[in-house]
Amino acid sequence: MSVKLDPRTKLYMIFVVSAVVMMSATTPFLWAVRITMTMIPILLLIMEKHYAAAFRFLILYAAALIVTFRFLSESSKGFLAAFLVGYCSIIVQFMPAMITAWYVVRTTKIGEFVCAMQKMHIPDGITISLAVVMRFFPTIKEEYTSIRDAMKMRGIMLGGGNAAGIIEYRMIPLLFSCVNIGDELSAAAVTRGLGGKVKRTSVQELKMSVADYLLMLLFTAALGVFVVFKYIK
Amino acid sequence: MMQTIAQINNVTHRYKGAAENSLDGVSLTIQKGETILLCGASGSGKTSVIRLLNGLIPHYYHGDMTGDVTVKGLDIAKTQLYELAGIVGTVFQNPRSQFFSVDTDGEIVFGPENIGLAPDEIKARKEAIAKQMNLDKLLGRSLFALSGGEKQRIACASVAALLPEIILLDEPSSNLDMQAISMLHDIIRGWKKQGKTIIISEHRLWYLKDIADRVIYMDKGRIAREWRGKEFAELSEVETRQLGLRPTSINEHYLALLSDKDDVKFKQEQFFDGIMLKDFYFSYHHKPYLLRRKQFSVADGDALSLCIPELILPKGKVTAVIGSNGTGKSTFLRCICGLEKDCTGVIVANGKEYKKRQRIGFSYMVMQDVNHQLFTDSVEKEVLLSMKEKDVNRCHEILDTLGLLGYKDTHPMALSGGQKQRVAIASAIAAGAELLLFDEPTSGLDYAHMKKVGELLRQLAEAGSTVLVSTHDPEFIEQCCDHTLRIKNGRAVSFEAWNDQDRNSIR
Amino acid sequence: MNEKKLQAKDFITIGIFTALLFVVEFACGMLGFIHPYIVASYVVMIPIVGSIPMMLFYTKIEKFGMLSIMSVLLAIIMFVTGMGYLGAPLIIASGVIADLIARSGEYKSFKKTVISYGVFCLWICANYFPVVITADSYRKNLIDGGYTAEYCDNLFRAINSKTIAVLLVLCFVFGCVGALIGKAIVRKHFEKAGIV
Repeated sequence: MSVKLDPRTKLYMIFVVSAVVMMSATTPFLWAVRITMTMIPILLLIMEKHYAAAFRFLILYAAALIVTFRFLSESSKGFLAAFLVGYCSIIVQFMPAMITAWYVVRTTKIGEFVCAMQKMHIPDGITISLAVVMRFFPTIKEEYTSIRDAMKMRGIMLGGGNAAGIIEYRMIPLLFSCVNIGDELSAAAVTRGLGGKVKRTSVQELKMSVADYLLMLLFTAALGVFVVFKYIK
Repeated sequence: MMQTIAQINNVTHRYKGAAENSLDGVSLTIQKGETILLCGASGSGKTSVIRLLNGLIPHYYHGDMTGDVTVKGLDIAKTQLYELAGIVGTVFQNPRSQFFSVDTDGEIVFGPENIGLAPDEIKARKEAIAKQMNLDKLLGRSLFALSGGEKQRIACASVAALLPEIILLDEPSSNLDMQAISMLHDIIRGWKKQGKTIIISEHRLWYLKDIADRVIYMDKGRIAREWRGKEFAELSEVETRQLGLRPTSINEHYLALLSDKDDVKFKQEQFFDGIMLKDFYFSYHHKPYLLRRKQFSVADGDALSLCIPELILPKGKVTAVIGSNGTGKSTFLRCICGLEKDCTGVIVANGKEYKKRQRIGFSYMVMQDVNHQLFTDSVEKEVLLSMKEKDVNRCHEILDTLGLLGYKDTHPMALSGGQKQRVAIASAIAAGAELLLFDEPTSGLDYAHMKKVGELLRQLAEAGSTVLVSTHDPEFIEQCCDHTLRIKNGRAVSFEAWNDQDRNSIR
Repeated sequence: MNEKKLQAKDFITIGIFTALLFVVEFACGMLGFIHPYIVASYVVMIPIVGSIPMMLFYTKIEKFGMLSIMSVLLAIIMFVTGMGYLGAPLIIASGVIADLIARSGEYKSFKKTVISYGVFCLWICANYFPVVITADSYRKNLIDGGYTAEYCDNLFRAINSKTIAVLLVLCFVFGCVGALIGKAIVRKHFEKAGIV
């Protein structure tokens, strides 16, 4: 079973979760709300068959929760304990946002995302640039992998006796490649009509389904609860 | 009744900052439905002609231009590029850089979306194109996971989705293997049947000889010769060579050699002096492990991406590694030079064993895209970077033999493609590598440059280096290789000697 | 083609360099997992390493809007990757102001470029916003939960609402220093190779 969510719903989820991670949970009820909110993207990941990722997030989050609540509450002293608490509390605090972001990035096609942005009336220039950013992440990865291979072959992974080289030898060939690819990409895109005066269309069909409304409602409620507790109570 | 669809009228053009004219008084009339092949050396102006017709000159590449170009009644100089999108479509050389989306579907609909067609119309077009070009298997996939040939097919589909009347192709086969070229051939023939006007700029001529109606030979920015398609196909190899062109036909022998033929039983020849590769096993899929990563071994059988128990490479010779794309040639080269650190395998040479990391010092690969392996800001520094003990005299010596001494202070990225390749070779020699590996060094090169690379490899071999070169280029194999090693599914399936006698006998 | 409006090519250039800058930020961000102190050193690392692509980007800017759009994109990416949206106004403001400064030098004046990049680098501080904002209540929670005050001080000494001002200044200063270094590298490589 898989639930196809509208990208706008997903963006809203991120919005709510990012807001909630910045408010601390002070009562068991709030903790319950927070944990429920974290479980939703994990559940969605499972539905989209990203089992490994869902499992990993679940274990990590659960472990962090247990460590923070159980073992390190009373007499945590010393460097190691402090270190561990630091990690675990950061994980517990910010992990929900990370999981949601991961879910959205992994399950949203760029076409869908761009279409959603168009529907939200964001100017074409920004959506085009953003589409290029998305297309360029894998390109940078590919180019960087080749460059790293070349560096290994030359034995200059650590800069070849030149500390600045560590960054320079990675960055310079990467920039040359990206600039070249960018030039060719622009040429290919403009010959296919990019940058015309007509409004771009999109074949993506975006429709809000029941699941979308349900999730939005749920997340709005969760946000409401946190806001009430923090500012009103 | 012939109908003119495009006209170039006495155009002279010079790119901004260039010393010479790229085009010099070019006039060309193109009839509707015609297929024209543009040939000539690199820098002869082929690509510039293509850019005139799709408007990239003068709208994208700036420079000085006189003369005018009309396409379907539109004066190009006064027409915006996006207005041309539905009329002229262009397939570019590099499959890696010309796509805009990350998935195949998005790429095919990219053009129609730009010109603002209705979503239903776009979908109908996409389906029609996918059916026509047999793309079912490619739909819904990430473009980054496709091979060069598959990417090029998507590029063709993406152009076709705009239903242009004129299709331009700028050296489309440069990065393709034999199979992909024959697929490209079928696509072009399909367009021809639909009555599209097609203009192709290309170095590899053999796959186009039954398609081209007219062949135009460019030299130094001028149109120097013109043939009817038939006349051109009949040119002898001597004639094409004089013009600096690659041959118009390929010997059947090479076609058989380079396309996937039946497995020949592998038989290792013994060489008096050889470099032995022993126990090269590797797979991209890791074995499950608990504590210690298990090493790959012959027992893993079919799971292996590379399985070469023993292979002897003749020392001081040039060996071509052949086989279609995705069959393990690159993996083979990467494993030899130690880039895949999980690969087992020992190189035995000069009575010494090179294991794991030591393989990196013993061998050196010149990558297909040499831009990735140039790091410094001058040719001299680039070579010195490879030396453990910086020896300027030795560095100059190496540069001298490769004809690069005059460029020692130039930035490597300011050099031409061939010169960059030689800088990479110079660093390999400086690093003391005995086994030189080349990954497709001649893809996209014209006849003269291809020949130069061939001569260089021979020169390296004669100086004592052992050269292993992966290639799809039959003319190149003929020119410089002593042996051919065929790889299939990561296994060495044949190893043939390839001497001058053989060369003559198959002619 | 001296139109004031941005062309398709410009949007693609913006996309490429935004991707590169974000990769730099992400690579440096990874180091932050080692210890919270390293997080504070973003203000040194990111301006300097990021200056190499950014100075190359500056050579390609001719029209107003390219830096502004880049900052909008950065804000969107930060939002989507779950790093919060509270910093968005800061990111966009520093982008627009940097754009205006560079425009006053017609995108050619090197002095203006240095200052402009310094201002642009202020966006890095947006990384700290979630921590700064959560810090106070967070610290209280931790101490209530029984953690030693010593640890909490360690965690928050580097990052709190007082030091954020210092961090902003540092961003600007190292942005300017980075601009000089980046420009030197652009000269050494890209100008020498004839790319710009």
